[in-house]
Amino acid sequence: MPRSNAPVGVGGVASAAPPAPATSSRRRRAARTDLMTDAVMIGPAFALVVAFVLIPIGIAVYLSFTDWDGFTIPPDWIGARNYTRLFQDPDVLRAAAFTAVIAVVGTIACNALGLGIAVLLNRNTRVNTVMRVLVFSPYVIGPIILGFLWSSILGSNGAINSVLTNLGAERLPFLADPTWAMVTTLLVIIWASFGVNVVLYLAGLQTLDDSLIEAAVIDGASPWQTFWRVKLPVLAPTVTLNVVLAAIGLLRVYEIVLALTAGGPAGTTQTVVFNILTTSFSRSQLGYGAAQSVVLMVVIITVTVVLTQLRRRSELAVSA
Amino acid sequence: MIARRTLRTAAFVLIGVAMLAPLYLLVTNAFKTQQDIVGSPFGWPDDGFTLDNLWRAATSTDFNVVGAYGTTALLVIVVNVLSVLVAGPASYAIARGVRRGHRIVLLVMLAGLFIPSQTIVIPVIYVLKTLGLMGTLPGLVLFQTALTIPTTLFLFTAFVQSIPRELDEAARIDGASRLGTFWRVIFPLMRPAVATAVVLNAVGVWSDFVNPRIILGPGSGIYTVTTGVYSAISKYSTDFTIVYSNMLLAVAPVIIFYVLLQKRIIGGLTSGAVKG
Repeated sequence: MPRSNAPVGVGGVASAAPPAPATSSRRRRAARTDLMTDAVMIGPAFALVVAFVLIPIGIAVYLSFTDWDGFTIPPDWIGARNYTRLFQDPDVLRAAAFTAVIAVVGTIACNALGLGIAVLLNRNTRVNTVMRVLVFSPYVIGPIILGFLWSSILGSNGAINSVLTNLGAERLPFLADPTWAMVTTLLVIIWASFGVNVVLYLAGLQTLDDSLIEAAVIDGASPWQTFWRVKLPVLAPTVTLNVVLAAIGLLRVYEIVLALTAGGPAGTTQTVVFNILTTSFSRSQLGYGAAQSVVLMVVIITVTVVLTQLRRRSELAVSA
Repeated sequence: MIARRTLRTAAFVLIGVAMLAPLYLLVTNAFKTQQDIVGSPFGWPDDGFTLDNLWRAATSTDFNVVGAYGTTALLVIVVNVLSVLVAGPASYAIARGVRRGHRIVLLVMLAGLFIPSQTIVIPVIYVLKTLGLMGTLPGLVLFQTALTIPTTLFLFTAFVQSIPRELDEAARIDGASRLGTFWRVIFPLMRPAVATAVVLNAVGVWSDFVNPRIILGPGSGIYTVTTGVYSAISKYSTDFTIVYSNMLLAVAPVIIFYVLLQKRIIGGLTSGAVKG
């Protein structure tokens, strides 16, 4: 990438001068140009994050204390009423409970599947390559299309129910009955998500030192023991990364639910983000939606911190 | 030993079927009549295969496939280029920085890792309105680029820290500026991290639905693949001739792309992700 370095070139040369006895003013000038260069290099990225992440967070926090409907200017300040309201709102609580189940069960399932399948696919054979491509494919296709695809498979006139009716059997209410729909949604989300974990665990496995495993095998360890006693402890940082990423991703799940069930039946499969967007747009309660957003951000940050702290212990156990 | 191999094969078959069956239905049913989709979703159609549905979907006014793909490809490319251009130098300055300010700036930007974009998109509308970019592609590009920065910066900074400082010092003695050192000496070494970031960001932009839907809005007439397929399908979700054909049109290019580049995509994800 050819780039003119004229404006900073002078400073660069000055600060790169050999450590001859430079005067202190010269050194200070060099430090200042360095700082200017830093500002030029960091500035654009920082400005984008400030304008499109930090300021919006600030606006969301402000709006969460108003009852804004999107029109009245300025919005009416109502104090913490949105927050007291959301902890009593059955829709919010139901969405929060369902999202919590998705996050907990999903994180466990995605990591168990991710690690298990990664171990299975670790060697670089042709079959394993094909399997890796298959397992990772949902991530590439994306949640909206996957949601529609599974809804046309599991819907009341979908592929599976068509087969059942053709066989003279009863239809199964995969997406029609609330309990069934929640379980179906959870399973589809896991199906769509665990591929990333497989790939990340594969990345971790490839960094394993072969001599470590050979040593274990020579010492007479069974494959089972090698896995639990040698591979898993060394993989501790990879486990942390996977657990945190899965949890964060599942707490914000939305698109796949929109396309799969549209939140139904009777709102039972609405997730937190689903509820935030319906509150804000369909019901024009932007202040209330903002309050839910703020709570979700706080939950995600808390979950991340807690998980990282919990995992730190097992990571330290390895390095010690 | 034989038992283990059987178990392994069984696991492979199970995973293979679980991953492939939905895709099989997606592809085959796009070529069947409604009657055959309902009558034998998994089997051979009585009426034979037909291209009618695909043709109708491709020429439908609800979802202009070519236009939507153009928009999405443009977004993917521009966002990726901008993201690397902006996050690259920043990561270098931060990774090499010695002041406390550098760490604080990094932490502030990494905070974005934990913010679900769906929860800030409503306030972002007001930022974009202030800038006069609401409802426009440049507005969407800026927001999507901003969303890629935390991850990209995280990957890049960790990677730069693994590159020995002696390299920069050598370049500086040769008279290169810091920006020049970064682009000519450090950046070429960062390929694994760049590959990872590009794969993550490309998939992120390609499958993004909420942001284009809200920022571009249905009124702008600009559709990405996800928002286009959503408006084409959600209205007619019981007409399988529309549902399957539109889904196939939406995923076919990306699946071909993925299969051709699978080595680079999966390899790219693993290469830069394990550092740091």
